[in-house]
Amino acid sequence: MNQTYQPKTWLGQQANRFAPGLFFIGLVLLWELICRFGNVPNYILPSPAAIFMAFFDVEFSRWLTHLWATLRVALMGFGLSILIAIPLSIGMMRSELMNRVLYPALIVIQSTPVVAVAPLIIVLLGTDDPSRVLITCLITFFPLVVSTTTGMLETPPEMIELSQSLRAPRYRETWQIRIPYAIPHIFSGLRVSITLAIIGAVVAEFVAAEEGLGYFIQFSTSFFKIPQAFAGLIFLSVISLLLFKSIQWIQAWFFPWSLPKKK
Amino acid sequence: MEDKNTTDGNKSAYVSMKKVGHKFDPRPDAPMVVQDIDLDIHRHEFVAVVGPSGCGKSTLLRMVAGLLIPSHGEVSVFNRPVTEPRDDVGIVFQKANLLPWLTVRKNVLFPLKHKYGRYSPSDEKRANELLEMAGLTQFADKMPDELSGGMQQRVGIVRALLLNPDILLMDEPFSALDALTREQIGFDLLDIWKKNPKTVLFITHSISEAVLLSDRILVMSKRPGSVLDLIEVDLPRPRSSQTINSPRFAELTDIIRGYIYEPNVPA
Repeated sequence: MNQTYQPKTWLGQQANRFAPGLFFIGLVLLWELICRFGNVPNYILPSPAAIFMAFFDVEFSRWLTHLWATLRVALMGFGLSILIAIPLSIGMMRSELMNRVLYPALIVIQSTPVVAVAPLIIVLLGTDDPSRVLITCLITFFPLVVSTTTGMLETPPEMIELSQSLRAPRYRETWQIRIPYAIPHIFSGLRVSITLAIIGAVVAEFVAAEEGLGYFIQFSTSFFKIPQAFAGLIFLSVISLLLFKSIQWIQAWFFPWSLPKKK
Repeated sequence: MEDKNTTDGNKSAYVSMKKVGHKFDPRPDAPMVVQDIDLDIHRHEFVAVVGPSGCGKSTLLRMVAGLLIPSHGEVSVFNRPVTEPRDDVGIVFQKANLLPWLTVRKNVLFPLKHKYGRYSPSDEKRANELLEMAGLTQFADKMPDELSGGMQQRVGIVRALLLNPDILLMDEPFSALDALTREQIGFDLLDIWKKNPKTVLFITHSISEAVLLSDRILVMSKRPGSVLDLIEVDLPRPRSSQTINSPRFAELTDIIRGYIYEPNVPA
């Protein structure tokens, strides 16, 4: 039985309420203790305190440069991905031929590991933003195509009949019925894609970059500045989380009807 | 077709079905979904179609709507064969079929927005009037999921009335509602129909609903759906909860029930 645990004392209730946070703090404390009393050297596994101090070893403006570089590539790749994926999905939904031709190609692109293709893209497009944006785009657009197409195809037949009974032009069936119907699906695709966008940007930076958090982590590691590398990793997780959250905020603000009903 | 055999003068029939049949699979040995349906519906008449589920009632409605072209026979509206959906035919769907991203008012205006891309202030005025008639004014700016099932279906009816159709097709519109709501919305529909007289084709699997609402009832057999009987409902109007208690109401429902539960009775 999955019965919710109800503590009786005030302290117990507070502990229950903040359990996820307490668990996290506990984990960090355990990590600190292991490093301190296990005599683990900082260049193998830095302690949380060492990581915290490492934030200040790097100038704030340097952090911002790296942060911005990664964020810029991730957002540009993600944006490009939206610009390609949504029209492509509409095309594939509307045209059976387009669907038949493009779908296998999409599967091939998706099943090729982007990490393996990244160096080739750098060779092809050079070491600047365009290649990094393309790498990010390649990793993010498949979930978007799948979710958008699924949403549009799942539109209830009765809604389509409503459109047919009005003899409305087909582009309005797409814009006024299928796309709005697909909004919840599109947003679940966006949530998956935005976290992949950060991965894409980091992969691209690993291959060729002079700035960005991915580059910074690789650079720090190669000089055995492991605490700094961890600090960079924390920044990456934080932006990833914030981007994920902002997709949810955008959905809640602009499309409140598309959220699951809380009852 | 044997035009001379139709007894009713074709002129007065708003909707006319002659030997209508349909199968979805064009192969010659494929089963028919409906067959040999003959029915004329007159001006401002309320005709219900009842039959067991799967008997092709909804197929029949789709053929009148022009969403489906019958493989056999002919459906005509105002003496013209139906080849595509028409502006003078409105449809009320099962389960309201409202768009969850639009407010109630915008759902009502949707047919105009969808067909022409825009609507005028006078259209908006008309939508408001229709909403008021259906007692929905205070819900006009709500989203559909904030309304009860019965209210949602009233919005569905109001939406079908926006383009002021002469003919209203209703496809089991109350089947998703609970029994109490269902009876109430039946009276609401009669009230709306009285204020906006329309020729109605009403598909239902509820016998009492059919008797309560309609002037005539087409009783259909199991698949392949064909006409078992066409029953004149001679109950006085306006109908109310009193109607349900009258002996004639019970008689009529019994007659239909007889058909539904003994499906081998010849037409």
